[in-house]
Amino acid sequence: MAGASLVIGNKAYSSWSLRAWIALKQVGLGFEEILVPLDRPESAAALRAHSPSGRVPCLAHGLFRVWDSLAIIETVAEAPIGAALWPRDRALRAHARAIAAEMHSGFANLRRHLPMDLKRKPEPRAYPEEVAAEIARIEAIWAECLAAKPTGGPFLFGAFSAADAMFAPVATRFRTYAVPVSAASRAYCDAIFAHPPMQEWVAAALDEPWVIEYPRP
Amino acid sequence: MAELTLVIGNKQFSSWSLRPWLALKQIGLPFREVLVLLRRPETKAEILKYSPSGKVPYLIDGSLGVWDSLAIIEYLNELRPEARLWPADRAARGLARAISAEMHSGFAALRQHLGMDLKRAPAQGAWPAEAAADIERVQAIWAEARARYGAGGPFLFGHFTAADAMYAPVVTRFHRYGVPLDSGLTAYRDTILALPAMREWTAAAEQEP
Repeated sequence: MAGASLVIGNKAYSSWSLRAWIALKQVGLGFEEILVPLDRPESAAALRAHSPSGRVPCLAHGLFRVWDSLAIIETVAEAPIGAALWPRDRALRAHARAIAAEMHSGFANLRRHLPMDLKRKPEPRAYPEEVAAEIARIEAIWAECLAAKPTGGPFLFGAFSAADAMFAPVATRFRTYAVPVSAASRAYCDAIFAHPPMQEWVAAALDEPWVIEYPRP
Repeated sequence: MAELTLVIGNKQFSSWSLRPWLALKQIGLPFREVLVLLRRPETKAEILKYSPSGKVPYLIDGSLGVWDSLAIIEYLNELRPEARLWPADRAARGLARAISAEMHSGFAALRQHLGMDLKRAPAQGAWPAEAAADIERVQAIWAEARARYGAGGPFLFGHFTAADAMYAPVVTRFHRYGVPLDSGLTAYRDTILALPAMREWTAAAEQEP
């Protein structure tokens, strides 16, 4: 898509932005990146100028606008360049969509108590029971996929897919909050961090000048 | 094709269940319905009988199981592309997916303060500012879709799409809590409420224990 652009928030903190950004990078779609620093007096107006919902991420191509991480991923997956974003097999694709959607609408406690913060020095943080339950659910989702995954890579369905894009921010949370997880989960998180587009994102996040201190819930 | 089975929660308040159920009805795919009563001691075990994910709604197609309203709808779109659960036009489809995803992950205040309750007699409710902002955003979304793509029919994108299924529980909330709508949108609300499938769901909800 020549002339495509993706509006994102801070790379250190915007987990929804990371999901869409890494999916676009994965399929090799060229795009201009428009980064709007969040949580500043001018943020809301800057976002409105780029994104009809006032939210990031937002994919723009001429007059065409799609916001929301999952909607952007589905839109890119429809294009020939994005055909590999979902598993080719129909049953695996349905499974990948189910866990991607579960991530999209769920895990509110994890999100609130352990927000993505790539500038944080990895160390444990205490969290309540509801967060522990959500972490257990994520590990169960990953374990089921990794036990049955096709060959072709270390990701949830072998090769990197949209499901991995959706869970990439979770891998960063598990690492920066030193969450105790299974060896299989840790290996999966390591694979996410070793993925070249992820390394590019993390390096840029560490270089950002902005620091946001989220109030602890 | 083996008959599809959809596992759902109570019709009174399971808004996530209503979305794929309505989509299935509207595209005319026959399916068996399994209703598990939620918020009971036996609920978890009952759901696990059908859905290894422990989630409803859950669609079973032979050996394949899909959970989550939006993932099920994407699966139905693949099964029946000719039903056009997403609009055929690329830009319209992009907007439909964006507003459906926004519904899927957002509007927490609306969900919390105006929970779907089909046994509630329509009456004026009260809600805080966050919910009012969600109500305003929903109306802006509906108005934009109707203005840009609604010319061919009474739905958000003319004909019935997944976006209408995703917002159908919101329509019932606006109705039951007496949310005043912008003048152009009352016809849309009434179109959804008058769908035979919606009437069927609502009548069943009112009979639930």
